[in-house]
Amino acid sequence: MIAISRGSAALAWLIRLAAIAMALSMLPSMAVAATDPAKPPGDPVANYWREVRQGVPGLSQVDGAESGVLINAAGQQWREQRNGPLKRYGAMILLAMLGIIVLFYLVRGPMRLSAPPTGRKIQRFTPFERFVHWGTAITFILMGLTGLAVLFGRSVLGPLIGSGGLGGLLGLGKLVHNYLGPVFLAFTILLILVFLRDNVWAKCDAQWIARAGGMFSSGDHIPSGRFNFGEKAWFWLGVTFLGLFVAGTGLLLDFPALIDRTRELMQNLVLLHAIGAVLLLAMSLGHIYMATLGVEGAMESMKTGEVDETWAKEHHELWYEETKAGRSSHM
Amino acid sequence: MARMKFLCDAERCIECNACVTACKNEHEVQWGINRRRVVTINDGEPNEKSISVACMHCTDAPCAAVCPVDIFYTTEDGVVLHNKDACIGCGYCLFACPFGAPQFPQDGAFGERGKMDKCTFCGGGPEEDNSPAERAKYGRNRLAEGKLPLCAEMCSTKALLAGDANEVSDIFRERVVARGSNRGAWGQNLQFNPLGGTRR
Repeated sequence: MIAISRGSAALAWLIRLAAIAMALSMLPSMAVAATDPAKPPGDPVANYWREVRQGVPGLSQVDGAESGVLINAAGQQWREQRNGPLKRYGAMILLAMLGIIVLFYLVRGPMRLSAPPTGRKIQRFTPFERFVHWGTAITFILMGLTGLAVLFGRSVLGPLIGSGGLGGLLGLGKLVHNYLGPVFLAFTILLILVFLRDNVWAKCDAQWIARAGGMFSSGDHIPSGRFNFGEKAWFWLGVTFLGLFVAGTGLLLDFPALIDRTRELMQNLVLLHAIGAVLLLAMSLGHIYMATLGVEGAMESMKTGEVDETWAKEHHELWYEETKAGRSSHM
Repeated sequence: MARMKFLCDAERCIECNACVTACKNEHEVQWGINRRRVVTINDGEPNEKSISVACMHCTDAPCAAVCPVDIFYTTEDGVVLHNKDACIGCGYCLFACPFGAPQFPQDGAFGERGKMDKCTFCGGGPEEDNSPAERAKYGRNRLAEGKLPLCAEMCSTKALLAGDANEVSDIFRERVVARGSNRGAWGQNLQFNPLGGTRR
């Protein structure tokens, strides 16, 4: 997103990233930040208005977070970044990903089994693994839909259902998003723990990368362990890095009454949360495609926990051999 | 049509907070919320200044631009109002507002943000003028009664001005002429300017 925006915009994003790191480290001391005792020389009136513009806090008898700050100069910048690049590039990334998937489906089509199914089933996922997966998946979809509605609802649904309709929809959406967020984080952590040991680097992954997982050449067979490199990339980049990042920034945004947070911190968190969420959603489209339309029999494995031996052999040969030999640690 | 504006003369504001109290009383604003506040910079120092601030009814209002449910509207008088019924309490208007005007009551479990409340320029909301529903949500609609905002009406030093932008400018322009400076710090400069009271 940074690379395609203009230089000055990219710089502003970098400054924001730096600012959030600073803001996080200075969080407790922020409230007592005093004005510099050695005041710069010059016109006191000019200095006064300069301080106001820079957000130097004064004194207010009204209690409240930042009530002494007369002008919140970052607000306009946040508005421009959220309504500008964030919405524009966010929509572009998601639509581009959808387009790529549709194109891939039309050109390559679903990957079907080359040999007939044997009818003999082997267990691929335990009931607990499936519970954790579906818990994460369902909360993720709800979080994704409600989050997208907050960012794009006004532009997309607004003209159809109006402000009142949006209010009803997003009023419920906000509740779902805010309360389900911590549940999603818990499921994500469980998911990482459950599948961690099968997502470490294996020798066969290099072969998978070299041949792009056989995605572009039908009949190309690449042996892999319980998870292939594509699944491992989704596990590390998507679930672990982006999942924890989005859920973590979301948790910091949640429950405004419990901790006082400055507006600037909230602005930066909203932007980071949304950038992470857009990237995670784009990646998830790939995962969802592969699991539903892209690979025959993939959905069945997570639905029933069992796969046909032919499927196991064709998609995860090393794992199949391990399981058959009784060496798999899962069954 | 008028173009409504607030103006606070920092030379006149004495930080009495009467505007804050008057507003709260007139509109029976709920506990924990102040639609207006007075901020003092350099408190206790020679160039101390106070200023009363609330929603400034921006022409291109940032709150309206970032609202995910599009609840803001501008009246013919240039007053920025909002529809509380559709408000979801996300807080985005507060993040975007330059003046910290939007306020949120704590509502529901874990003290979530309730529906946003802010200065209406004593102009109520989308409901029928001075109906009980409007009164309960937004306070009194003085504009509909032909009156100006109470905070400015009862400001004892006339630091806070509210009304049609042209008339507010005329009043302030007279003051500028009398002071000999539009920087509004003539007296302060004379007494405390380290250069020896040069009028600039």
